[in-house]
Amino acid sequence: MKRIREKVSEGVYLNVINSDKFKTELISVYFILPLNKQDVTFNTMIPLVLKRGTKDYNNSMEIEKRLEELYGSDLSISVTKKGEKHVLRFSIEGPSENFVESNKIFNNKLDILKSIIYEPLLINNVFKKDYVNQEKRNLKDRISSKINDKQQYAVQRTVEEMFRDEKYSIYKYGYIEDLDKINEVNLYKHYLDLLKRARIEINIVSNLESEQIRKSIKDKFSYNEREEINLEREKVIFNEIKEKIIIDKMDVTQGKLTLGYRTNIPYEDKLYSAFLVGNYILGGGPDSKLFLNVREKHSLAYYVYSRVYKYKSIMLISAGIEFDKFEDALKIIKEQIELMKQGEFDQKSIEQSKKAIITSMKTINDDIFSISEFYLSKVLSNDDKNIEGLIESIREVNKEDIIAAINKIKLDTVYFLKDK
Amino acid sequence: MENISTIKSDILKEESFLYVLKNGLKVYFVPKLGFSKKYAIFSTNYGSNDNEFVPIGENEAIKVPEGIAHFLEHKLFEEQEGNIFDEFSKLGSYVNAFTNFNQTAYLFSCTDNFYKNLELLVSFVENPYFTDENVNKEKGIIAQEIKMYEDNPGWKVFFNSLKAMYHYHPVKEDIAGTVESITKIDKETLYKCYNTFYHPTNMILFLVGDIDFEKAIKTIEKNIKNKDLNTQNKIERIYPNEPKEIKNRYIEESLSVSIPLFNIGFKDKDVGFDGNELLEKEIVTNILLDMIFGESTELYKNMYEEGLVNNSFGAQFVASKTYSHSIIGGESSNPKKVLDKVIENINHLNEVGLNKEDFNRIKNKMIGHHIMSFDSLEYIANSFTKYEFQNSSLFDYINILKSINFQDIEKRFKSHFTVDNYILSVINPK
Repeated sequence: MKRIREKVSEGVYLNVINSDKFKTELISVYFILPLNKQDVTFNTMIPLVLKRGTKDYNNSMEIEKRLEELYGSDLSISVTKKGEKHVLRFSIEGPSENFVESNKIFNNKLDILKSIIYEPLLINNVFKKDYVNQEKRNLKDRISSKINDKQQYAVQRTVEEMFRDEKYSIYKYGYIEDLDKINEVNLYKHYLDLLKRARIEINIVSNLESEQIRKSIKDKFSYNEREEINLEREKVIFNEIKEKIIIDKMDVTQGKLTLGYRTNIPYEDKLYSAFLVGNYILGGGPDSKLFLNVREKHSLAYYVYSRVYKYKSIMLISAGIEFDKFEDALKIIKEQIELMKQGEFDQKSIEQSKKAIITSMKTINDDIFSISEFYLSKVLSNDDKNIEGLIESIREVNKEDIIAAINKIKLDTVYFLKDK
Repeated sequence: MENISTIKSDILKEESFLYVLKNGLKVYFVPKLGFSKKYAIFSTNYGSNDNEFVPIGENEAIKVPEGIAHFLEHKLFEEQEGNIFDEFSKLGSYVNAFTNFNQTAYLFSCTDNFYKNLELLVSFVENPYFTDENVNKEKGIIAQEIKMYEDNPGWKVFFNSLKAMYHYHPVKEDIAGTVESITKIDKETLYKCYNTFYHPTNMILFLVGDIDFEKAIKTIEKNIKNKDLNTQNKIERIYPNEPKEIKNRYIEESLSVSIPLFNIGFKDKDVGFDGNELLEKEIVTNILLDMIFGESTELYKNMYEEGLVNNSFGAQFVASKTYSHSIIGGESSNPKKVLDKVIENINHLNEVGLNKEDFNRIKNKMIGHHIMSFDSLEYIANSFTKYEFQNSSLFDYINILKSINFQDIEKRFKSHFTVDNYILSVINPK
């Protein structure tokens, strides 16, 4: 797998990853912006409105018909939060040239993606009013539907409470009360501003010659008048922490418990890899401390796991439990962490966890989406390590480093969603 | 090696290999060169639907508690020496299992030590170890799993739609059973189910990745039990007589959701197919659903612009020998109005006919999607085993898809979408 990174214009980069392993090729354009309350709802609206219609394809039915002609190429958009950055993604994924009867399929896909991002349908020089209003309503439904998935909801609520005074608490899809301020005029203005100021990363995974891809990108995408925004690094070190407990009540059958920890270990820190291994020992897989104790030994939960959120350096533990087992589960989880701080874990757990992490790193190259996201994360964290380098840094982790890393973590928020 | 048979697809540029063990177990392999991940799935043709059957070596049919196939899946991970998860973890691999209506599957994915992992997979699936104590302990865990699904509105709206469509067929019951039904499960019944359904002639072992197939076969032969068992095990499964008609037109429930969720189900009157006939019916119906309800239709466009549906709207056909149905689902503030529009549209299409251009585009799309799906090892493995148990083949899919013509679609449209075989299931906000 060969990768070329090239600056296309001020703040615009092209990453071409060449591989002939796949039958599919992927073109992803990422817009990276600072996460802040006043922009987040506007940002989220942009891809929603853009995929409704373009200059050449006036509505989403026309767009979809074109995609179907291109052998079912899929257009997808996403809005995510990576630390305190807001990332909008526009992707098109479709069969590679040697599998379909078309030798222009790459350029055809590129054309439609370009038309969606850069040539929106305009009425009187602004977005189409109906589309904006319909997408406002859709986004409103989307934001209110966060209660539908109770596990995710518990995680989202924990983050909200834990980072009350930090940008990280901002919900990636924005806020219902801000939707009222949005109209076709100010949203279009926001769009023009975003095109000018966002950091743009174009990631392409394809079997075509890199040279051919570079030429197509340069022919079709022209960038001028760039004024890139400065993307700030998140604050991740917090030593004075007061533990708090938040309890919400809702009509649910099972209680959802989430524990939010500040790790105090930035991804640049040499203890970061040790922390990843420690987290895995604690709650990574079915051989983890939490799984064995909370689930297998005490039958308290069906699921219990611990996850690391890289950019903001936090760790969240989640479990689904009976309402009256809140104290028990909390006690067992805290005990397990205490034991880890004291070094109560064996070499076998370390080896198993390292292997599991290494396995998942090795398989990044088996999936076009993972490849694209991996290169994006390198860019976002200014990390030039390739997969081999990352694997090496996991291999080097020892017990002392894990103990040191786990001793840095601090419990910030305990969240429990229970019945009314 | 002798006795390895091959199927090749020039369109997909893929190949599959088959080797049948002396005991009747079929081992399949699809090579994926250059991939780091290797994947194996050991599956038995036994799922939540198989609740009534004649146990091996007996003459009388028995009825077992709902959720037992899934319970058995959980329990197979337990060995006398401890938990098998740990053995896979030592190798850095990922092990899991799933139970659906028609199969129970055990799988692992890894990058290293493939043959050692394979040995573990074969031996743990072949070594049941149930005690009163470990069976009872599992009830607490599974009860939590059942409760987790009860909080899942998508799952609820789906199972309610099955309950509205079917009178007696076990497909309407939850795969994991109920908190009540699992309390009735004991180790004796578990062994009975195990011995009947985990018979090599009722199972498939499928491998995919950058693997040496001959070496894999040798590993399996060395570790498999009942090496020479050559008895064909014809399992007698009993399914209730299911009327062709739906049970209830409408079903609703309230949960903590923001806007209503709905499933519109069309119960298939035309059941009993197997093999390529069944596969063809599946493909034809999925093309049809896309032509009627897909994102490139006027119906979708109008309902979306009116605010009746959002992009969670979608449709899918599920095919099996003893039951099949289409489900059209999504979120809507007014599910009844969506149903009216859907029926109105079907009536309209009955008058004006389907559009051939739509058919050609959708067919193109499905060809592309099928080709692209071969980039996923999980997809290859899971759908390969699914189709084998239905006596067809993933490798026939593209040929059947290409051979489908407009008349096939028109014919199916008339038989599947009739005015009396649909139901509406709704989850309302509390």
